[in-house]
Amino acid sequence: MSLIAQDIHVAFGKRDVLRGINLTALPGELTAIVGPNGSGKSTLLGAITASLPFRGRVSLSGRDISVMKPWELAAQRAVLPQASLLAFPFTVIEVVRLGLQSGTAGHRSEVPMQALARVGLAHHAGRTFQELSGGEAQRAMLARVLAQVWAPVENGQPRWLLLDEPVSSLDIAHQLQVMEIARDFARAGGGVIAVMHDLNLTALYADRVAVLAEGQRLALGTPSDVLTNDTLSRAYGCALRVSTPPPSDIPYLLPHAASA
Amino acid sequence: MTALSEIVTAPRDRLSGARALHWVLAGALGLACVASLQVGATEVTLSAMLSKLVQGEALSQIEQVVLFEIRLPRLAMGVLVGAALAVSGATMQGLFRNPLADPGLVGVGAGAGLGAILAIVLGALLPVWAIDLAGNQLTPVAAFLGGWGSTLLLYRVSTRHGRTSVATMLLAGIALGALAGALSGILVYIADDRQLRDLTFWGLGSLAGASWAKVLSAGPLILISIGAALMVGRGLNGLALGEATAAHIGIDVQRLKSTAILAVAGATGAAVAVSGGIGFVGIVVPHLLRLVSGPDHRTLLLNSTLLGATLLILADVTARVIIAPAELPIGIVTAVLGAPVFLWILLKRRGLVEL
Repeated sequence: MSLIAQDIHVAFGKRDVLRGINLTALPGELTAIVGPNGSGKSTLLGAITASLPFRGRVSLSGRDISVMKPWELAAQRAVLPQASLLAFPFTVIEVVRLGLQSGTAGHRSEVPMQALARVGLAHHAGRTFQELSGGEAQRAMLARVLAQVWAPVENGQPRWLLLDEPVSSLDIAHQLQVMEIARDFARAGGGVIAVMHDLNLTALYADRVAVLAEGQRLALGTPSDVLTNDTLSRAYGCALRVSTPPPSDIPYLLPHAASA
Repeated sequence: MTALSEIVTAPRDRLSGARALHWVLAGALGLACVASLQVGATEVTLSAMLSKLVQGEALSQIEQVVLFEIRLPRLAMGVLVGAALAVSGATMQGLFRNPLADPGLVGVGAGAGLGAILAIVLGALLPVWAIDLAGNQLTPVAAFLGGWGSTLLLYRVSTRHGRTSVATMLLAGIALGALAGALSGILVYIADDRQLRDLTFWGLGSLAGASWAKVLSAGPLILISIGAALMVGRGLNGLALGEATAAHIGIDVQRLKSTAILAVAGATGAAVAVSGGIGFVGIVVPHLLRLVSGPDHRTLLLNSTLLGATLLILADVTARVIIAPAELPIGIVTAVLGAPVFLWILLKRRGLVEL
């Protein structure tokens, strides 16, 4: 039932970006991938989503993704890219419908409107996508991704949300909103893998965290196990101080803590 | 959550409107066909012929020739060529993710032209069995191959990591067009007198040379290509999100691209082979339709086919009557109407970073 990436190698030209990464993500959990710029986070997600050539093996509920057809993959997992590209003046609701499989109820389905309501954009459904602000566009793309795998579990199989920096251009309220959506998806039995920059949000929402540095996996575990002074300082190459303020004892980083 | 979706209802659906437009455009095409049969350089009119038939009279020799040997084949060719140009424009724009991509503007037409000229000038050098096999399909097929090669080359040059650079596409198209034009020029030099005459008629960019033979030679390739283009609508919608995301929503991107490129090359090639280069239909028609009914390719491709045929027929009627009994090359009419629209799109997009 899990998503398993085994011994993933990716090279861009002569540069080894990923050097033998293993990652297992479980349904029902939000797995975050963190690490410094250039550590290979997005590249790892690219391999998991079969968007770029890699060596190694990725399996989804026991099936090797390299033998699965695009539409079989699309039925099981949806991918939110970092940048929201769109050619031609589609409306917001039309963009969300693009995520629907041709076999499903098509344009009469209520799922797209519900997905838009979920990200708080139902009132913009009829607007042209290009008129949206950067943050709204990112949430509209999230709605498209949600519409694609609307039921977190289908026919007893978990479905997956694979998110590349889902909160990168959002204000604080919408960062929380999007992370709640991702966590709810996992709580309902689906699987979520999210590439994250914000370590505090990661600590707050992730069930499991993989820390990458220089194309290798430095640590994998719960936020409390992994988001430690030692691991983070090694990963990011600078002194950091993590505190665990009561009552939740969730790890918390302050930038000025580095020099304290 | 349910409460939210009850409060805000889905906006007006452009897809059903675009589907209704199929019927409107089909009707318009019917009317344009009647107009095209009605008018011409001679006094013969469709209405007069019809009233004769209703009264049980036979058509005169002249009327029969005008209707069956001149106007009908010209109408059939106009429908085929207009549909082919518009649908290949719409398909190419979807493939390149850009409303300025038009086979005529980015060198695909010139590549197809080179193929056609090669067939006209050097076709006789082919082994006899090959000529027999190709029959009347030799020129369209050669034009198709030329168009295919140039589309493939253009896509390779201008697309990196699934994103197409418009500037590269337009500039590469200029280079491609110049190269194909130069090679065509060399072929014109070595052509003999009879071939030169063929080339001159061919290069006018007109429906004036229409004949049943030409309709039969270009028709099959155009119909197959239109059929192929009509199947890639959903895929082209997905491609609007970029190649990677198109794959993520379940589209077989490689197959989509090869089908679209073959459809563009087939429709452009066959249209160029029988009518020379008629410009701007492929850019104006899809653009107008996007303004009216949105960019959804599932309806845009069929609507482009219908409107392209209609507009080309009307342009041909205009070309025939405006300085009758002489006639303008139809390429002039389409350029006068089309070039400003092209500039308009360009100006509107100048503010965007895409160029």
